[in-house]
Amino acid sequence: MHTPRYTKLADIQADLFSNKTTCVELVTYYLHRIEKKRSLNAYIEVFQPESLQRAAELDKKYQENPKSVGRLFGAVVSIKDVICYAGHQVTASSKILEGFRSLYSATAVERLLSEDAIIIGRTNCDQFAMGSSNENSVYGAVRNAANPAKVPGGSSGGAAVSVQADTCWASLGSDTGGSVRQPAAFCGLVGLKPSYGRISRHGLLAYGSSFDQIGTFTRSVEDAALLLEIMSGADDFDGTASQLPVPTYFANVQQVSPETHSQKSKIVYFKQAVDNDGIDPQIREKTVHFIEQLREKGHLVEAVDFEYLDYIIPAYYVLTTAEASSNLSRYDGVRYGHRAAEAKTLDEVYKKSRTEGFSEEVKRRIMLGTFVLSSGYYDAYYTKAQQVRRLITERTRQLLAAYDFILMPTSPVPAWDLGAKINDPVSMYLMDIFTVQANMVGIPAISMPLGEDSAGCGIGIQLMADKFKENELLKFAQSIKK
Amino acid sequence: MNQSIIEPPLASVYDLYETVIGLEIHVQLSTQSKAFCSDDARFGGAPNTHLSAISLAHPGTLPRPNRRHIEFAVRLGMALGCNIQRTSYFDRKNYFYADLPKGYQITQDRQPTCMGGTLTIPIGNAFKTIRFHHLHLEEDAGKSLHDTDSRFSHIDLNRAGVPLLEIVTEPDLRSGEEVDALMTAMRHLVRWLDISDGNMEEGSMRCDVNISVRKRGATTYGTRCEVKNVNSMKFARRAVAYEVRRQIDLLEKGGKVIQQTLNFDPQTGITTPLRSKENAHDYRYFPDPDLAPVRLSDAFLAKIKAEMPVLPTDLRAILIKNYQLSANDALILTEDKSVALYYQQLASVCPPVLRKAAANLVIQKILPFLQTQNIAIAHYPIAHTQLIDLLQLIEDGKINASAAYQILLPALLQEPQSSTLAMAEKLNLFQNTDTAWLETLIQQVIAQNPDKVTAFRKGKKGLSAFFVGETMKLAKGKADPKILNTLVMRFLNT
Repeated sequence: MHTPRYTKLADIQADLFSNKTTCVELVTYYLHRIEKKRSLNAYIEVFQPESLQRAAELDKKYQENPKSVGRLFGAVVSIKDVICYAGHQVTASSKILEGFRSLYSATAVERLLSEDAIIIGRTNCDQFAMGSSNENSVYGAVRNAANPAKVPGGSSGGAAVSVQADTCWASLGSDTGGSVRQPAAFCGLVGLKPSYGRISRHGLLAYGSSFDQIGTFTRSVEDAALLLEIMSGADDFDGTASQLPVPTYFANVQQVSPETHSQKSKIVYFKQAVDNDGIDPQIREKTVHFIEQLREKGHLVEAVDFEYLDYIIPAYYVLTTAEASSNLSRYDGVRYGHRAAEAKTLDEVYKKSRTEGFSEEVKRRIMLGTFVLSSGYYDAYYTKAQQVRRLITERTRQLLAAYDFILMPTSPVPAWDLGAKINDPVSMYLMDIFTVQANMVGIPAISMPLGEDSAGCGIGIQLMADKFKENELLKFAQSIKK
Repeated sequence: MNQSIIEPPLASVYDLYETVIGLEIHVQLSTQSKAFCSDDARFGGAPNTHLSAISLAHPGTLPRPNRRHIEFAVRLGMALGCNIQRTSYFDRKNYFYADLPKGYQITQDRQPTCMGGTLTIPIGNAFKTIRFHHLHLEEDAGKSLHDTDSRFSHIDLNRAGVPLLEIVTEPDLRSGEEVDALMTAMRHLVRWLDISDGNMEEGSMRCDVNISVRKRGATTYGTRCEVKNVNSMKFARRAVAYEVRRQIDLLEKGGKVIQQTLNFDPQTGITTPLRSKENAHDYRYFPDPDLAPVRLSDAFLAKIKAEMPVLPTDLRAILIKNYQLSANDALILTEDKSVALYYQQLASVCPPVLRKAAANLVIQKILPFLQTQNIAIAHYPIAHTQLIDLLQLIEDGKINASAAYQILLPALLQEPQSSTLAMAEKLNLFQNTDTAWLETLIQQVIAQNPDKVTAFRKGKKGLSAFFVGETMKLAKGKADPKILNTLVMRFLNT
């Protein structure tokens, strides 16, 4: 088993600042790793000459003035293929956006670049971020680096594997219902989904606009905190981005040491999510053990009934597909992207281009979303789902007023075999049962590695905090890390 | 063109029916930038130049509300007495069309910003109050040009995203004339409020006309048809006339009106179906998750209220009541806000007794002058004080009115820097009010016309004008007509 060269940016920067390595050497190493791990299919495109050139420029900048480099000096990052980077392709792993180049960079990417990050490539994902296994991509499935017969999770599977396989320091994904946390769990990484509105969505291809957030894959909590601190904050290009000031997440997390941390927290878990036969026994055992450890450390951990758990998935799929059906209307073959060659009329341009350009899963969700918004069905589905969302939000925030964190497994099952669930979309949808709640409510959630399953893939434990309490969440995550 | 198609003959059968009309008026707002991004929102420009990744609906782009869009909507809402909603929402209206980049239009469906409201419009010699259902904010689509090329349709997206206001009336209109009157009043109002140029030729104002007919006295409405995109008052009248006749003919033949969307062809003057209710679009409206609710603060509303100009109807009432102007003069002066403002300023520095004369001066002398010179009233060369001096000279009888308007005013327009008094002096226009001198002249005229004096005294009273006129001739126009008249009467009657 390959041991990653670095586990956190501070170590990379220590080597850079003591001239033990250079950005060019670092990028060369990662490019070599990418080449070696090509069979995992994590990358759609590697920005090879460009990332080396940028590395050389940054080395020069450092040599001229070591103090002039940004906070992400030496940070080699990959981005999921749903995040815009000016002048580069962005396709959402679809045919409909084949060859499309973005005119601008996402705000999150802008902010990384302005701190001297190097973007090494764009990673494979489920098409338009729709999926839980990263098997739904025109570029083919991504494999779990720990066991290539297993899925890496989805939809940000390529992003997760790019870090897991040590092909970059960190990766940006997107999380609409667990698309960062679940692959982070399967790949043994720290996966953070911030509060809705913490990071601007400008430049993130929309799936479910009221659920989507950019999230991160890292090996350490402090690196998640650093990326969050740099990417967060108000943005003129996204009216739903929060105006709240951005705390110094990174410094705050760095001050926490698992050995000396003495602050006791109140944690709650749902009986249905742990004491339940539907949960894989390995996961249940590790979760129960983790709860005991927390209690031993003096934290209060209590179980409650969460009566709405069964309603989360149906409501989530009604609302996200409704939004997606409208969000994906712009991919019409008129102004950019794939246009069916033989289309003769405007109607044919739409029908043929979209039929050819979207995958089965994307079409399934567009049709489902179109149906639930249709006149005569709107109230029964969309309105009802909104009501469920409100109830779940109220109950969750109520719990988070009484407790600091909600704890549950990231996924009810471990990474499954490639192809095992691909023909059973509903069972695939149910895999999101523990992750969609944070997106429904808009609260931050983190998946932390909790060990390995019998097949060698990762198992994760998820923690959620109240809205915009990333600071508390990250500090607690740091205090319990292994 | 066959006129009978356009004007339904007033045969008795048509008189049995009443026409019921509701309008959806679309007003393009004259903001600098588009409704949801900073692209140029102005009319014109080479095709597809007022564009960015946002207007083009590139992947990952998001809308940002334009504060001015909301402000302009509230301004009109306040002018119409709408109930301004503290919280309102943007919705998406989903449909595919080549000139609609996102595949949906951002609009307000369930909870628009302005509810209710009324506008009183002149219909003939009377007034009628039209009620509004609501006003909502939305964005325009681009333009499709289907007839410039035999093989392709052309799309210009400059207009895509331009801020619109849709004004939805209650079914309160009863004829094409009333439609015309409401559109005219609305155009006047949006210009007055500086929120739109109201230019129908450039599409800044257009309307969809919902038309139904019912037997007079009926209490329920007939089935309505919607005539789309009517972009001139003339077309609105013709479309209504045609459609009313079509519906009545249909009903009289025992048929039924089918609810449908129609297109009016100005070339033929007839309406043709675009789509029927069964084929109506299902727009799948739902709240736009990219846009936070529009929440209007007290401060925001107070600021708009404080900046509101006096409305034309209120101003007319002030002119009539406080300045004693006629309704007609008040109407003329409030046709254009700059003229109204000009008059108000002039009247405010004017002795009250001269306000009526000032109104006449503006209407009869200044407005025609502006028209011939093609200049704005703000650039009228003569200062308020000079004009007031001129009116005062007339009022005091120091110069007679015709000399003032025909000699003094044109001279001042030539030399706007000169003072009125100096100019009148220079032109030797001051009237002679020396009664002794006038009496000599009157006596002269009486002596020369003994027969007319006799006739007058026998009852031909109209001859007094002859004596006044003759004396004025001798005075070379420099007599005060009032004084002269009094003196002539005194001499003739003694």
